[in-house]
Amino acid sequence: MTTTFLRHELKAFWRSKNTGKSIAIRVVMVFMILYLLLCVLAMGFFLNEILEKTFPHDDVVVSFCGIILLYFLVDLFMRLQLQELPTLRVQPYLQLPVKRNSLVRYLALTALFSVFNLWPFILFVPFIVRIVASDSGSLAALAFVVSIAGLTAFNNYFALYLKRKSNLNGWIFLVAAGLIVLVGLGDFYWHFYSIRNISFLFFGHLINHPALALVPVGIGVVMYYLNFAYLRKNLYLEELGSRKAGKYKSSTEYPLLNRFGSVGDLAANELKLILRNKRSRSALIMGLFFLFYGLIFYTNHHYGEGWKIFVGMFMTGIFIISYGQFMYSWQASHFDGLLVSKINFSDFLKAKYLLFTIVSTGFFLLTTPYVYFGWRVLLIHFVMFLWNIGVNTTMVLFFANRNYRRIDLSKGAAFNWEGVSGNQWILSLPLVITPYIIYGPLAFFGHANLAVAILCIIGILFLVTRSFWIKQLEADFYTKRYTIAEGFRNK
Amino acid sequence: MIEIKDLKKSYNGVTVVNVPHLEIKQGESVGLVGNNGAGKTTLFRTILDLIRPDSGEVLLNGENVAGHENWKNYTASYLDEGFLIDYLTPEEYFYFIGGLHQFNRAHVDDYLSGMADFFNGEILKKGKYIRDLSKGNQCKVGVVSCLLQNPELLMLDEPFANIDPSTQFRLKSLLKDLNKMKGVTTLVSSHDLNHITDVCDRILLMEKGKIIKDIATNSSTLNELEEYFGVGQIIGTATALRE
Repeated sequence: MTTTFLRHELKAFWRSKNTGKSIAIRVVMVFMILYLLLCVLAMGFFLNEILEKTFPHDDVVVSFCGIILLYFLVDLFMRLQLQELPTLRVQPYLQLPVKRNSLVRYLALTALFSVFNLWPFILFVPFIVRIVASDSGSLAALAFVVSIAGLTAFNNYFALYLKRKSNLNGWIFLVAAGLIVLVGLGDFYWHFYSIRNISFLFFGHLINHPALALVPVGIGVVMYYLNFAYLRKNLYLEELGSRKAGKYKSSTEYPLLNRFGSVGDLAANELKLILRNKRSRSALIMGLFFLFYGLIFYTNHHYGEGWKIFVGMFMTGIFIISYGQFMYSWQASHFDGLLVSKINFSDFLKAKYLLFTIVSTGFFLLTTPYVYFGWRVLLIHFVMFLWNIGVNTTMVLFFANRNYRRIDLSKGAAFNWEGVSGNQWILSLPLVITPYIIYGPLAFFGHANLAVAILCIIGILFLVTRSFWIKQLEADFYTKRYTIAEGFRNK
Repeated sequence: MIEIKDLKKSYNGVTVVNVPHLEIKQGESVGLVGNNGAGKTTLFRTILDLIRPDSGEVLLNGENVAGHENWKNYTASYLDEGFLIDYLTPEEYFYFIGGLHQFNRAHVDDYLSGMADFFNGEILKKGKYIRDLSKGNQCKVGVVSCLLQNPELLMLDEPFANIDPSTQFRLKSLLKDLNKMKGVTTLVSSHDLNHITDVCDRILLMEKGKIIKDIATNSSTLNELEEYFGVGQIIGTATALRE
């Protein structure tokens, strides 16, 4: 059965309207992954030497045991942001004589095909073979490999479980990510405890008592079944679709937006779209997660000012990047309706600008407490905020004219995920790189202030010339409207 | 009102719409019938400038729909649920559509109160988003949002398909009323031959993208259509008697 599902999914991939775009993204991804793989492989082989350099006073096996848990903590954090959820359009199979368990098993098994599950082995196994096996015998080495496999499985399913949960409720993601950051800060910033000591406590004993390897395997298995049970429980149309007998839905109004006339009406509609659909709401809430980025980067003095540009842009503009990515697709299900109603497309665009400006302003205000790390931080945040609402909004809308993929908001989120994953970040690469094209060379030659000033001026310039860009985007849209509408009709 | 010239659209070499010439005059009520895949919806979409034709053009009031937007001022249409903004409550949606035509809320409320019969207590003040309504009730929202716009041209694609029998009769009298009293040009497609011959004065029969029959409705139209569609069936007694 699993192979049948795989074949169906492959067909869905190849026969989709967006195959070309998906392949291009995948090719870029594959190259990045290969590059990272080589880096990790090199690290794995020289782990012995690296550890000796980093912790010159400790025995190399002790420091090795110390970093394992630390690695898995970082791994979990990265998985939360980047790992993709395996998907399957389950609905057509539900009424057929297909066992529910085989549907769920398919989802659970394909989840293992992730590069994230390769990293720990590439990184740790060379060291285990070289050092642990020769020092403490092959049984201890086997125990290490088994423990690492168990922890990998645990992280894999735990991250997916959290992601599935947070699809339904974005706050879960936020809390989980916040907790991981807090655990990290507790060690490295506040020094309450040492993760390395805890890690050594377990792996140090593992050398003498290989049977302990069953503990990580146990939690891995438990996590697998938790995930399995959760998926199985959610295989009902009610959870898949939106047709739930919920509480009374009342009409809402945003008096602030009424002032903007028909543009305000459109913006109000889109705000309702965001707040009333699980997926778009999650995109907004996960934006809040990026407000933690400052804590990670500003507390560490290794990161220079270049990072502030990056962090400032992300914190004030994450909504533009993550929501804007899928622009127009959010409205795919009623795009035909929009096209035939009496809506001026330039009003439609103005509404998008208005929405982005409002939300980004909100995010900028939320980042103001970072002034604790100096006024310059706030200044850079403000410059990047201007850049976001000036340049990035326009770029996002430019890409929106080239996006033909339908998003079905009415589908439940647990099995339908196009939110935070590696692929998404590839698409946002142009947005992230552009400010560095200006900042990088100038800062390199010591004109950082000038660079910030130029970024600021360009941001303001784009803001002032908005109506010009709207005209360009409108003309561009009219050449692509049929393709967009057709893509959105393609379910 | 509507003029179609040399309209052609094909997908992968299969012609789905091929209409050399069609003219629909102001105030006509036209029904479109045809089996699945005959090209009815594609024709509707080309008229509404949602699909780019391979060749030819559609003129509404003498103006090409592609590249112009004036037609949106007097045309209202409902083809499928894809025309509704489904995360809004029906009220919000009606206010939005009304707002596009510069109607204030009082005006919209006033209009909706006149539709109470048609809604049959299922739509307003139910505390549901449009996506939570059944298909039939969504259709009601779509139809009423069309009427609210006070159009000169009304286009509905299979409006009778999902609604209950009572609503079907109400919709028929609404359509007749609009056409006869207000002079609205209507273009309606349906698979229900009884309804369509009852409502429309002119029937267009489509097959494989072509309009193969263009009939002014009279007492024998229904039989004529039944004869066409009733492949391999024993034709109704009325036809048999006449022959």
